[in-house]
Amino acid sequence: MSTGTKHTVTAFDDDMDEIRGLIAEMGARAESAVKAAMKALGEHDTELAAATRAEDKIIDTLETEVEKLVVRTIALRAPMADDLRELIAALKMSAVIERIGDYAKNIAKRVPQMEAKSALAGNEQLVRMGEIVVEMIRTAMDAYAKRDIDLARAVTARDDDVDQLNKDLFVDFVAYVAKNPKMATEVAHLLFTAKNLERIGDHTTTVAQMIYFTETGENLPDA
Amino acid sequence: MAETTANPKISTRNVNVYYGEKKAIDNVSIDVDMDNVTAFIGPSGCGKSTFLRSLNRMNDTIVGARVEGNILLDGQDIYASSMDVVQLRARVGMVFQKPNPFPKSIYDNVAYGPRIHGLAAGKAELDQIVESALTRAGLWGEVKDRLGDSGTALSGGQQQRLCIARAIAVDPEVILMDEPCSALDPIATARIEELIHDLRGKYAIIIVTHNMQQAARVSQRTAFFHLGNLIEFGETSEIFTNPREDRTKDYITGRYG
Repeated sequence: MSTGTKHTVTAFDDDMDEIRGLIAEMGARAESAVKAAMKALGEHDTELAAATRAEDKIIDTLETEVEKLVVRTIALRAPMADDLRELIAALKMSAVIERIGDYAKNIAKRVPQMEAKSALAGNEQLVRMGEIVVEMIRTAMDAYAKRDIDLARAVTARDDDVDQLNKDLFVDFVAYVAKNPKMATEVAHLLFTAKNLERIGDHTTTVAQMIYFTETGENLPDA
Repeated sequence: MAETTANPKISTRNVNVYYGEKKAIDNVSIDVDMDNVTAFIGPSGCGKSTFLRSLNRMNDTIVGARVEGNILLDGQDIYASSMDVVQLRARVGMVFQKPNPFPKSIYDNVAYGPRIHGLAAGKAELDQIVESALTRAGLWGEVKDRLGDSGTALSGGQQQRLCIARAIAVDPEVILMDEPCSALDPIATARIEELIHDLRGKYAIIIVTHNMQQAARVSQRTAFFHLGNLIEFGETSEIFTNPREDRTKDYITGRYG
């Protein structure tokens, strides 16, 4: 995208930098939140779960700030071309990162409702899913910082793995609950967790698509 | 770089324009059609006005100005010796940056062209041409009861619409506009832009503007000039959202220079 040259009106660059900083912070916080939520779930750490829920409020506030700044910048600077694309992308990215924060909160909320010694919370596939989405978020934010469309592409490719794990987990958990009907509530919580992780994967894919769009002006072709 | 369309009203091929030794336009090939408003944008001194003025031979009056290459109007070379320049300027009208009504009545401003070109058989026909031109220029309702008042007594925006009425009274095929709104306030500007929108399709319209928002608003095709070169020419919506050339992008995003 940018040829690296500064705008003649340097205050425009300051506005753009501020928005980029906020998006980067949102991404970093969302990544930590998902990681913490999965850790709290796996270790039944209710304190960490509570902290994760509190963290979501900060992400929400950041989103509001991004929105305000983007609207102000569009109104005052009449951005064109890659500047315009970047601002529209920022608006969309901040919205989906905020949703990632919500899903992390949602996972964290389940921790106190689950058995302390849940045999299932440490389910290997679920843990794997959590690891992959955290890695996706990190890669996406890395792609954002570096303006790297190859990294962005790599994120979207990863989403297929998440979708597959979600499907596998569903089958496994349904089979499990048929044999262990007493575990229905526990399994329901974990199925929702898997679904939340799957959604996080989708939203992270959107982040990657927005990076690609900002850089190229084109939609990211399907992998 | 050549940009062609199926039914060009104006075609330029390898056009160079010189002021003495200085080359102001370098090898520009471009097609302009009736269906689209074409905007020329670029920094001061990029040659866009020079190029615009070469399209109806306004540069002829400048000592040392010289045009090379071909400029065709409906396939006819406008620089051919057989071309009647007065006739050419009736076919390719021009609206300038500063409204320049004649110090005559509103009526006579509009009737001037039809009179010298002998377009009206009598008073009734001339009246009709004047009314029609003022109506198309969106000015009739405001001036119909004071056609005898001086054109210079109108507001700036009205004067500019009067100049547009004057240009279209001779039934041109092409209208060239050189920064037509730069001396007008935003409301008067909006009315001219609305008028350009209404005139689209009836005339081939080319507008030179420094206001990129204006280019984005009124045109369907945009040409970006830089240092006498045509850098990029394409759909306006593409130029302003996803330009192909870095120089275009740097200019429209305010990174130029």
